[in-house]
Amino acid sequence: MRTKGWQNVLAFTLVQHIKTKSFIIGTIITCVVLSAICVLTNMLPVWLGADEAIEDSIGGSDDTYKDFENIYVIDETGLLTDEDFAEANKLGANMSKTDKDADSLVDELSVKETAEALVKLTEIKDKDKVISYSANVYYSEGSSSTSADSLSDLVHMLVDKRRMVNLGVSEEDYEKTLIDVDCTALKAGSKQVDMFTSLVNYIVPLALPLVLFILIFAYGQTVAQSIATEKTSRVMELLLVSVRPLAIVIGKVLAMGIVSFAQVVLVSSVCTISFAVSAPFGFIGKMTSILANSDIINTAGESAAQAGVSLDEIETAKAIGELFKNFTPLNIILILVIFILGFLFYSLIAALVGASVSRMEDLAMAMQPYSLMGVLGMYLAYLPVLFNMDNLMSGVITSNPAQVFSYYFPLSSPFALPGAIILGNLDIAQSLIAAVILAAFVVLIAIVVSKVYEAIILHNGNRIKFGEILKMAMRK
Amino acid sequence: MALSVDNIVKKYGSYTAVDGLSFEMTSPGVFALLGTNGAGKTTSIRIILGMLAADSGSVTWDGKKFLAAYMPVGYLAEERGLYPKYKINDQLIYFLKLRGMTGTAAKNALDYWFERLNVTEHRNKRAEQLSKGNQQKIQLIAALAPNPELIVLDEPLSGLDPVNAELFKSVIREEIKKNKFIIMSSHQMPTIEEFCRDIIIMNKGKTLLQGNLNEIKKGYGRVKLTVKAEGDIRNFAEQCGLSVTEETPNGSSFNVKSEEQAHRLLNMIIESKIPLIKYELREPTLNEIFIEKAGGTNED
Repeated sequence: MRTKGWQNVLAFTLVQHIKTKSFIIGTIITCVVLSAICVLTNMLPVWLGADEAIEDSIGGSDDTYKDFENIYVIDETGLLTDEDFAEANKLGANMSKTDKDADSLVDELSVKETAEALVKLTEIKDKDKVISYSANVYYSEGSSSTSADSLSDLVHMLVDKRRMVNLGVSEEDYEKTLIDVDCTALKAGSKQVDMFTSLVNYIVPLALPLVLFILIFAYGQTVAQSIATEKTSRVMELLLVSVRPLAIVIGKVLAMGIVSFAQVVLVSSVCTISFAVSAPFGFIGKMTSILANSDIINTAGESAAQAGVSLDEIETAKAIGELFKNFTPLNIILILVIFILGFLFYSLIAALVGASVSRMEDLAMAMQPYSLMGVLGMYLAYLPVLFNMDNLMSGVITSNPAQVFSYYFPLSSPFALPGAIILGNLDIAQSLIAAVILAAFVVLIAIVVSKVYEAIILHNGNRIKFGEILKMAMRK
Repeated sequence: MALSVDNIVKKYGSYTAVDGLSFEMTSPGVFALLGTNGAGKTTSIRIILGMLAADSGSVTWDGKKFLAAYMPVGYLAEERGLYPKYKINDQLIYFLKLRGMTGTAAKNALDYWFERLNVTEHRNKRAEQLSKGNQQKIQLIAALAPNPELIVLDEPLSGLDPVNAELFKSVIREEIKKNKFIIMSSHQMPTIEEFCRDIIIMNKGKTLLQGNLNEIKKGYGRVKLTVKAEGDIRNFAEQCGLSVTEETPNGSSFNVKSEEQAHRLLNMIIESKIPLIKYELREPTLNEIFIEKAGGTNED
């Protein structure tokens, strides 16, 4: 009976809040900004040519040297033979020896609009002994550094091969020497992860607490402000003739929770649509198509080469796939429950704070303990991640003691738990225990609210301090 | 139906805001809760309506514990409050729905009351755009539109211009005709006198005087004498043992101990052939009773 009428409070608070200009404008700006970020995240790699840059394709090396119409070679080493030039031509490089002076040729290239290059191959000697070879690639105004890098690789390969052949190595044996040795330093207990996974492991636990803090904390503040406004504008007295104070708190907190949740869903939907619309033209579309093609993922060989997909792209797609593996229905439900519990935890405290003031100008002062709690919780979720950077980036799924504390401590768990669940830092049992602890504290706060709210809501005069509210609850 | 308030006590620390308030409303009519500022009227109303918990005592309606949130009550609070930024119609629909009305019933009731109180044009305005008087009308609508059986009006006429005060009075008269139970608190004694059947005068939480207004007045008897004559009558008054309590253009006022005392003065004036313009012997007004009761104890 003490909660009769909460539905009307909820409906009115919800509708009136959604109708406010600040909410409408804030939501539109957030949608537009995040939507633009989504499109940019998807398209920037394509626009900046990163797609090309990572094309160390599986079928062979980058062959953008083919873009050069003419490649002049001044070989001061005498290493390259006609056979090498013939092989280069066979690979698509229009390469020929020149007798021209290197300096004058460089001057010519510097103003040429066509794609041409000069390769100057020299020996570096120490006391008549060759200690290294140097190949400078000068490219014209009309060509790109990417093509020049590709040409450097080709020259490197030709010189290497010629030196081996000169030493008596057969072509077959030479091919065998090209097998790569990939060396990686790994911390004990970690797993080998690509750069994308490292970034995700690091960014998710850093960014998510901030986003959750803004959502949970800001809407809690709105609850406090709404209740304080009703109290100080004397509307509360009118309301209390019709409903019990507890019904007002429940209606308001739930209304703000729905607004907050709806805003998250709306913004997420807009972001998803932005991603989906831009995906076919950008990075995400490519990743999705790789993930959808099990042949490419499993073999990473010929089928990938045929599809024009690079190794890096496959690794990134795999990492994205790994990340979304943790988005199981159970984990999603758990994250939603934790979000709701976190919201209730902070909003109920905010409701008490809002009810404790008789003048709006006292609200900022009264909100200090609430703000301290929120900021403390956020930093407890945020700072330990910084001290676990090495582990997170190298794929170690263990959390440091401070992180573990933040998962179970009710002030920080609403901000820390979702990230930990997404990254798989906690198993289901641990996540459930953390959620139950948070739920227990929400119940505790609800009991305090039900005991003291009716007493403080009609109090007029000096602000009731947070400690006094707790004492009142203890007495009751 | 009957409202029964039985010995309610409310303390804030060592300060007793309400000290043993008791009264009964066994039939429809207007009951006045009077007192100086800080006498405990608003606290009493809040306790009666169940917004505040009393330290002891009880409030019952038809023998059951009274809680405004679950009873047909209309309340016009002393400290007016509306959402400043929301449309009048939206917030009134909300208030009426909280009282258990359906959307359609609320709309129909509002159509009538907007018209009755001449505020239809303000229906879609925000509260902050309305004058104080019009805001007060909106709050009266919030109190009366659900057609409550018990109406609590805390200072209903304060701050109203004479035209709107008369409009409010006519609405109150209509509610009285509808056999409503009305508790009214006001400092405007003529208004209370106009409407109220029973009164309580409070001071510093204590009940100083309580009962049927007519009977209280009868109990005092006709002890207020006002005389206006063309000559000086002060000597005659002194001879009758009377001293002037107030001198106004309407005449000299005296407190008499008995009607015989007043008649003796009248006879002396007539015998002296001083032309008499006005002679009035009456019961004390509520205002005079209030000042006598609350004013005296307020000095300490």
